[in-house]
Amino acid sequence: MLLELKEVNKLPVKTFRWLGANKLNINEVIPDIKPFKRVELTGEGVKDIKVTYHNNKESENMPPTGMGDEAAAFICCHKNREMTVTVPRGKKIIEPLFLSYRLDQENPALAEELFLLAEEDSEVTLVITYEGEAGTPLFHGGLIYLMADKNATIHLIQVQLLPDGGIHFSNIGAECKECSKVNITQCELGSSHTVSGIMADLRGNKSELTVDTIYFGDKERSLDFNYVINHYGKNSKSDMKVNGALLNSSRKIFRGTIDFKKGASGSEGAEGEYTLLFDKNIKNVSVPLILCGEEDVSGKHAANSGKIDENKLFYMMSRGLSEGEAKKLMLEAWFHPAVNNIPSEALREQVFQYVKERLNHVESL
Amino acid sequence: MEAVKNKTQINDVDRSIYDIKDKVNAAFKTSKGLTFGIVNQISLEKNDPAWMREFRQKALKIYNQLDIPVWGPSLEGLNIEDIVAYVRPNTKLQLKWEEVPEDIKNTFERLGIPQAERTSLAGVGAQYDSEVVYHNVKEEVKRLGVIYTDMESALREHEELVKEHFMKLVTPGDHKFAALHGAVWSGGSFVYVPPGVSVEIPLQSYFRLNAPGAGQFEHTLIIVDKGASLHFIEGCSAPKYNVSNLHAGCVELFVREGARLRYSTIENWSKNMYNLNTKRASVAKNATMEWVSGSFGSKVSYLYPMSILKGENARMEYTGITFAGKGQNLDTGVKVVHAAPNTTSHMSSKSISKDGGCCTFRSAVVMGKEAEGAKCAVSCESLMLDSKSRSDTIPVMDIRNDNVDIGHEAKIGRISDDTIFYLMSRGLSEGEARAMIVSGFAEPIAKELPLEYALEMNQLIRLEMEGSIG
Amino acid sequence: MSEELLKISGLRVSIDNKDILKGLDLSIKKGEVHVIMGPNGAGKSTLGYSIMGHPKYMVEEGSLRFEGEDITYERTDVRAKKGIFLSFQNPEELSGVTLESFVKASKTAVEGKPIRVLAYRKELGKTMESLGMNSEYADRYLNVGFSGGEKKKSEILQMLMLSPKLAILDETDSGLDVDAVKIVSKGVEAFKSKNNSLLIITHNTKILEFLDIDYVHILVDGKIIKTGDASLIDDVNKKGFQNLSLR
Repeated sequence: MLLELKEVNKLPVKTFRWLGANKLNINEVIPDIKPFKRVELTGEGVKDIKVTYHNNKESENMPPTGMGDEAAAFICCHKNREMTVTVPRGKKIIEPLFLSYRLDQENPALAEELFLLAEEDSEVTLVITYEGEAGTPLFHGGLIYLMADKNATIHLIQVQLLPDGGIHFSNIGAECKECSKVNITQCELGSSHTVSGIMADLRGNKSELTVDTIYFGDKERSLDFNYVINHYGKNSKSDMKVNGALLNSSRKIFRGTIDFKKGASGSEGAEGEYTLLFDKNIKNVSVPLILCGEEDVSGKHAANSGKIDENKLFYMMSRGLSEGEAKKLMLEAWFHPAVNNIPSEALREQVFQYVKERLNHVESL
Repeated sequence: MEAVKNKTQINDVDRSIYDIKDKVNAAFKTSKGLTFGIVNQISLEKNDPAWMREFRQKALKIYNQLDIPVWGPSLEGLNIEDIVAYVRPNTKLQLKWEEVPEDIKNTFERLGIPQAERTSLAGVGAQYDSEVVYHNVKEEVKRLGVIYTDMESALREHEELVKEHFMKLVTPGDHKFAALHGAVWSGGSFVYVPPGVSVEIPLQSYFRLNAPGAGQFEHTLIIVDKGASLHFIEGCSAPKYNVSNLHAGCVELFVREGARLRYSTIENWSKNMYNLNTKRASVAKNATMEWVSGSFGSKVSYLYPMSILKGENARMEYTGITFAGKGQNLDTGVKVVHAAPNTTSHMSSKSISKDGGCCTFRSAVVMGKEAEGAKCAVSCESLMLDSKSRSDTIPVMDIRNDNVDIGHEAKIGRISDDTIFYLMSRGLSEGEARAMIVSGFAEPIAKELPLEYALEMNQLIRLEMEGSIG
Repeated sequence: MSEELLKISGLRVSIDNKDILKGLDLSIKKGEVHVIMGPNGAGKSTLGYSIMGHPKYMVEEGSLRFEGEDITYERTDVRAKKGIFLSFQNPEELSGVTLESFVKASKTAVEGKPIRVLAYRKELGKTMESLGMNSEYADRYLNVGFSGGEKKKSEILQMLMLSPKLAILDETDSGLDVDAVKIVSKGVEAFKSKNNSLLIITHNTKILEFLDIDYVHILVDGKIIKTGDASLIDDVNKKGFQNLSLR
């Protein structure tokens, strides 16, 4: 079927037209979305939470999403996996919950809709992995709503290791009430086209949101990000860290917006985007925005891209590593902080192996 | 009466009433007409060579085809009819001193502008005899072989040189107001610095203020030849008042191999103005382009000096400050295109918003495939003085080569209470403390300006902080 | 008997709804040198900020009188103009404003009349020299990129240039090496006369070795629990704050 979405990952405020950075237009052929095999939530804490596999939430009450309404509506209409996870009031689930999707020839398309609701004073960690069978066209479209009630904490870790020839989009909308915390970790390492959007409304006073993302672009991969953090509540805090590497002819655009709404006094927002560039044919676009309507805030962002620091390279080579080995080591170190957020040793290993595999095939290293 | 008569005449001559596709601004649709006839009249009045007349016509055609930009501050208040009236040659529409708004007059007073200059700045008359000063400077630089004259004279006396460069850097097709400019441009400065010549004294466009049809559609064309250097200063800190509220000027700068050009601007157009200025520089091998910019006035600004680094080792530096107060929406920034190896650019921008003013910093850094070894650093700091105001930072970096180094950082915040306390503990009142902090904030720009401009700029800031100027 | 310069009565001060000073009395006369010592968190810096009128510190009860006038609710700059000076523990950095122009602006504000530029520059140069400060610091932005020691010297420099009646030194010797402590102490001593007074806040006693101290107060948990003469310093050094006998 044809996936056509005209207004995706829109920048909250437009800029010069000629840059082509204001939004993304998706026009791709994807495998037909048929019923997907049943996937269950696993983990020790499952017994303490409420899980339903049928969603009946009204979309009007849901927060806006990073990719936008069109993308959200598409999943809503075509979803073949749905789940609502409710963490009851006061329940702190320490052991992580896991959701592992594996796409293959019989299940080539996954359109998932997930509601993760953490009630007052609760805590939960959810790790979602996306893998797939190589050699067949695959599609994953995700719509995830994170609702953190007063004093609640949600850790969401997404590990995407889809093979080439896949299209992956992850659309997240989050709402944080008073004193709540939401931490999102995204490891976007696979698929040919990755689109990721996060929009978070920090509604409550003292609410906090952090995003730790790593991405890896090689061959002809394309990645398109749109993270928007809206500070409404007083003393709200946000921190976005995005570390990525671009090799061969890959392309990436990262839009990161910190928006301080009037009234969000005492808030702090920080954004750091760092891209390592390896080859001549890459295309790297960064759009770090800060929008501010409130005087009593502190906002900062930094965006840096370039090659691996020569001094560091020299240092490692002086200790016996070849240039290729040194670069690989640096890349792994680059990804370390985000990967460390994955609460499973086995999964962390898997990710590092995956990255190693991919690096082995890169000629320039 | 006369206006109506003229219009009828024109309509008879010109049948090609243009069709504007722009739905956004109704005024443009129902406009009494910026017609080919009017453009031709302007051209005739000026004794344009044939190619210039054709150029104006082509530009008008493009103007009719393009849309108004919708990604920036609203241009709703722009009144094209007034513009047409003022653009018309032999306009009897000269303002009288009594009609100049009080707050403008007050500012002249506060800034200590001599009486004679005030009338000129207010667009009231062309009597200010800066001619004398101007004349002396001309003599001085003439000895060096430098050409420094107004655009109309340049068109006559240095036609080939002008034709080679005129609107080649900023073309009418770039955007609607560039096209408008191309059709109705009038006045401005032309400077040519011969190879190897270093012009010690800064040249100032201020001298040219008394040209008729002052200021609105001025075209500045500067060519600094190989190895030469020049500092050109545009504008002044006194508010320039104009009843017709559009300034669509154009600045084209050609910095040839090994040359150096510093272009300083203090823009303080009165607060009814729409300042849609297009400035662009082409920087050749081993050449350096420096922009120093202070934006204080206008109701709406679209101002993004752009540099194209097209020769190896070309360098660009930008230092700018924007101060948006009540009723102002200033959208400023900087653009740079690295199109050659080992090019470097360095941008430092500061902005202050207060009293409901809105500052937007918008930038574009493009590094093409040829930009091997290029480096760029952007630093942008915004100060908000209250919560009625807005400050937005919208940078874009588009990079197509791996062997580059690009860093961008931005900060936004307010004046810290602790800093105010510290200054007050040393005897300054709260107002004095704030003014000192804001002056300190603007200091990096002041440092780059010649002394009297720096002093004027500081005085301007002080007045803005006191809220006493309009 | 010399005149009373500062009188603090029953001062209760809070910040962010937390009580820090819980009923403090203190009297400083002209020409006296007082030392406030106490453990971390006792409220020493709060005392300094309160005398200077920091807006975040709320006076819940009590009063402050300076030269007989009630300044309890007076603005900070007014207090500075009356002759109170606070040397900050962590001086603010002021990018874009040079040391020279800042001190000039401050002196003009405090003295209430325009100053003569040449005389001022000369005085500044001499004072910087006496403190061992390189003259190029005059053109540097105030405190920006200054080391800890240089920041402290910059504070003492300002104190000497403004000639206050009461100088409050908050942890002035912290971060200074031995030589710097000597220089700063000399500066402080040069300042001291029979007409002005010093209130030295410290939990370290290096700087005190070079001064004649009149009174030492021990501040614990927001109150002065003991007052004595200079010998109290040795007591504290030997026994610590907790074990002092409260007589």
